[in-house]
Amino acid sequence: MTAVPGSEVAIRATGIVKHFGHLEALRGADLVLRPGQILALVGDNGAGKSTLTKIICGALAPDDGELRFWDEPVRVQSTRHAHELGVYTVYQDLALAPDLSVADNLFLGREAIAGGWQGWFGVLERGAMHVETRAALGRLGINVRNLNVPVRNLSGGQRQALAVARAINWATTAVLMDEPTAALGPMQSAIVYETVKAAAARGLAVLVISHDIPRMLSVAHRIAVMRHGRVITELDAGAVKLADVIGLMLGEEVAA
Amino acid sequence: MTREEALEIAAAAGAEETIGAPEPEIREGWLALARGSTAFWIGAVIVAIAILFGLVSPNNVFVKADNLLTIGLNASQIMLLAIGMTFLIGAAQLDLSIGFSLILASVLSAKTIVALGGTTEQVARGEYPNLALAVTAGIVVAIGAGAGIGLLNGLLVTRLRLNSFIVTLATSGIAYGVALILTSAANVPFVPDQLQSGFGAAKFLGVIPYPLVVALVVAGFFWWVLRRTRFGLRTLAIGSSREAAIRAGIDVDAHLVKLFVLMGALVGVAAVFDLARNASTNVVGHQSDNLAAIAAVVIGGTSLFGGIASVGGSLLGTLIPVMLGNGLVIMRVEPFYQFVAVGVILILAVYFDQRRRERSS
Repeated sequence: MTAVPGSEVAIRATGIVKHFGHLEALRGADLVLRPGQILALVGDNGAGKSTLTKIICGALAPDDGELRFWDEPVRVQSTRHAHELGVYTVYQDLALAPDLSVADNLFLGREAIAGGWQGWFGVLERGAMHVETRAALGRLGINVRNLNVPVRNLSGGQRQALAVARAINWATTAVLMDEPTAALGPMQSAIVYETVKAAAARGLAVLVISHDIPRMLSVAHRIAVMRHGRVITELDAGAVKLADVIGLMLGEEVAA
Repeated sequence: MTREEALEIAAAAGAEETIGAPEPEIREGWLALARGSTAFWIGAVIVAIAILFGLVSPNNVFVKADNLLTIGLNASQIMLLAIGMTFLIGAAQLDLSIGFSLILASVLSAKTIVALGGTTEQVARGEYPNLALAVTAGIVVAIGAGAGIGLLNGLLVTRLRLNSFIVTLATSGIAYGVALILTSAANVPFVPDQLQSGFGAAKFLGVIPYPLVVALVVAGFFWWVLRRTRFGLRTLAIGSSREAAIRAGIDVDAHLVKLFVLMGALVGVAAVFDLARNASTNVVGHQSDNLAAIAAVVIGGTSLFGGIASVGGSLLGTLIPVMLGNGLVIMRVEPFYQFVAVGVILILAVYFDQRRRERSS
């Protein structure tokens, strides 16, 4: 959809370095996100998966390295800047406002505003917001009776689905997801991943951090393995075995 | 598995999720529904106070229209302050400086009016050749001074990353000190009586006090802003989860500065009310305005934790202390019991707010 002619790489991160005090979280990490492709980012705790994701989505600034969006070097200043570049993120803590309604959360930061004199005051078009929210959640198999309920009243699974729906709804370049199905049952996480596949088929680049490696092998196209702040290898998800991935994560050599 | 298959399996397993409780059934009745809302309870308290004082006051004078309008007039200044405070507390901020900012704004405004109204001899005789210009300038200065202090508060909170409680406690002292330095702790003399006769003590259509009319119009506007606009939505988003607001791309710092400036501008309007009602500054008053406004807001159902706010509830909340004070005076009892009563009600309101939070999380 947003694919730029002549470029098949949506986001390229090269040599990303990030320190937290004396801790070297990233030591020159490289990553490539392609439109239409689901890339699973796996690794042991502390390997740097979340830090790398936060740098791509503008939540953290890298100490060194380069980010390119559609082959243009970009310094992502903020999450708002990332949104302008079409990159949306599903955070581990979901980043929802618990007191606001389902519809207000889906549109937070991208509110639909009425035209004419009302636009001058920033009057919300809640009718249109409700229609689009209902559709976005419906795609994830969530049936919404009352869009005015505060998010506080939703179950953990419903909140997670809402956060995923929000990112997929607004993203035009890439969706980054940090453990997007941690709070979901097996049925619902299946639905979420089918929706993610559909979003990728529309041309979005998708990055998924997950500990559910068997699932990643079936959902993702490629698997990138991180260890000690570097992406040590990238594999074809269809051609690799679970034991090999786990071995790589823990630092063993791949059995050729 | 395709998406359709997953949905089918999910539906068969009854896993399709539904958001939102079913619509409440009619036979539950409006009373059952209303029991859950803060506005219902505060309305009930107000009606109870009115009935109680109405019954025990001589000739039921408490519930006569004249007295009820006086209560509204006396509440009008705190109403303005409570409107701004509703937005600030809704965004999980506080402003303790409002009472003393009000004094400083009124002092600067009064000095402007007296200086521009005429020569020293003229104003001492009560003559104001440039009254219209002087009053206009005075209003601008009052609102500008209030907004300026609000801007200072907002910048200190957002740029220095300081807690608003401490920042506004400090600027409160600064504003008070500057006001006393400028006046040597004496009220500004020769404020024109026309302010009182033309506005502070005047009545719209001969019935409703003008300050009350203005306060209600301002309240109506900001009720609409909170409920219907992006500004209101983002205010509550920041109060509900600052982190979520930042990650949604909202410029939280800029929004907070706007909220403090709004609060300050309303302090400026309340300062004009003060001059108009008393035809004088009141440099030793307003000691408990911040408590009164915060109490009104919290009693009215706005959550001290942010994220939930009600302008209508805050308006009702301002009435309780004024009604108690008025009723006690009519009963020839020391009106100071009102402070005790408001303190008790405030603690109850905060307690219920906190319990509601604990239950739902």
